[in-house]
Amino acid sequence: MIDVHAVTIDYGQGEQTVRAVENVSFHLDKGKSLALIGPSGCGKTSLLFALSGLLYPRSGRITMGGEEVNTPRRDVALILQNAGLLPWKTVWQNANLSLLLNGEFPQQNAAEVLAHLGLDSVMKRFPAELSEGMKRRVGIARALSTSPSVLLMDEPLASLDTLTREKIQDLFLNLWHEHGFSLILVTHNIEEAAFLGQRIIVFTDRPARISAIVDNPQMGALDYRERSPFQAVMSQLREALEA
Amino acid sequence: MKRVLTYVISIAALLFAWEMASLAVNGINHALILPGPFDALSQVVKNAAELQRNFAASAWRLILAIFISLATAMPLGLLIGREPTLDRFFSPIIYITYPIPQVALILFLFVVFGTGSATKVAMVALALFFQILVSARGAAKNIDEEYITSVLSAGASRWQVYWHVVLPATLPQILTSVRVSIGLGIAFLYIAETRAALGTGLGSFINKHMLFSRDRAFAGIIAMAILGLLLYIAVDVIERIICRWKYVKKMPLK
Ligand SMILES: Nc1ncnc2c1ncn2[C@@H]1O[C@H](COP(=O)(O)OP(=O)(O)OP(=O)(O)O)[C@@H](O)[C@H]1O
Ligand SMILES: [Mg+2]
Repeated sequence: MIDVHAVTIDYGQGEQTVRAVENVSFHLDKGKSLALIGPSGCGKTSLLFALSGLLYPRSGRITMGGEEVNTPRRDVALILQNAGLLPWKTVWQNANLSLLLNGEFPQQNAAEVLAHLGLDSVMKRFPAELSEGMKRRVGIARALSTSPSVLLMDEPLASLDTLTREKIQDLFLNLWHEHGFSLILVTHNIEEAAFLGQRIIVFTDRPARISAIVDNPQMGALDYRERSPFQAVMSQLREALEA
Repeated sequence: MKRVLTYVISIAALLFAWEMASLAVNGINHALILPGPFDALSQVVKNAAELQRNFAASAWRLILAIFISLATAMPLGLLIGREPTLDRFFSPIIYITYPIPQVALILFLFVVFGTGSATKVAMVALALFFQILVSARGAAKNIDEEYITSVLSAGASRWQVYWHVVLPATLPQILTSVRVSIGLGIAFLYIAETRAALGTGLGSFINKHMLFSRDRAFAGIIAMAILGLLLYIAVDVIERIICRWKYVKKMPLK
């Protein structure tokens, strides 16, 4: 359903061109999950921005459901590294930003999502009054508010403590099973990639090129972290990254 | 309550320093050169009616000038800060015109437009225009790109980016420049009001009495200070209302 064909992304013109992504191709079927992992600064965010229609590749094509992606789409939600919350809007406004921008009024569903994420008691607060973990959950609520068919996430859990991080990873897994969206997760955390990615693409240093593809068909259970395939996938990833 | 008390204490300290300075200056010169705060304050009471009239004249000129410059410089500054094409065109113009001391234009404006209120307002507005333009532009350039990306990915149009991100993100800095503008505006207004013979306003009141009844002139200066203080308080109140998100973070209890 998502098709990335020979995508190359450059910043700038002429001699000062910085190539961030080079000749990357992959395919993701509807409802599947994919993790993208690579060294810091290799071009992962750039690729994700191209997937969300925020920037254009220099060459190559990205299509979703057969349509070329060249502008943000309503059925694709993006969660940014710091959750992308606006400090001047309340939790409720942030969580329903996509709807409000569209002139729609949040439905019952929105309140349920917030309650499900444990945010119902803080809806009138501003982001400055929330813990980091709560902020991420508001970001998740915002992404889910439009019932997207594709969820793109850029290191959504970076800089969280291990416990909060694992809790939210569990939450992602449940939401993915529940809502059936396709999931693309950018991370530089090996455990996160192995826990959430049915398939994991490993990138080289900048410019990002595909250096390995690791399949992870056994993922999907909450106790996957304690199982042996999880460990095996992690060591495969570690090897690929070190290569 | 605590805030009121600190205000009272700091004002008392200021009056005390003024009294000391006045005693020292007058003592050294053996003449009444710098009136003390109590002489000046009693003149405020004695000249209440005349001061009130001039206060009103100055206040509305200043407020009008601030509004005019805000209404023009803020949108222009935000646009220039966000749209590179506009920036390339306007920035050289700003760099050349900003450092020109706008005071130099006062006499010119008087010659062209006469010495009425409109010219004085225009004078102050012109000076504040640059102040606000430059700070709005700077604030708009410094917006965290993550906010922009965030609303764009949520499907915002260009104008929604301005309304939901650029404006709220820059408001605190713009209000700070409005605070600076109050001080600057009072200085410019004073100059403009004193340059016009027989005008109204606190500037002309102060000027008129400076030579022969200095305690009255200082009563006028106190009135100008009060004007500035009231406007500062107004900006603070406005900021607390429209930038409420900035003040929600509470300090941890000790
Ligand atoms: N707007 C830009 N202009 C110029 N170069 C850029 C721009 N954005 C990113 N780059 C460069 O492109 C390269 C890839 O950046 P990108 O943000 O995609 O990396 P990343 O893999 O997401 O890194 P990280 O893991 O640190 O988030 C980097 O070298 C970066 O300096
Ligand atoms: Mg990144």
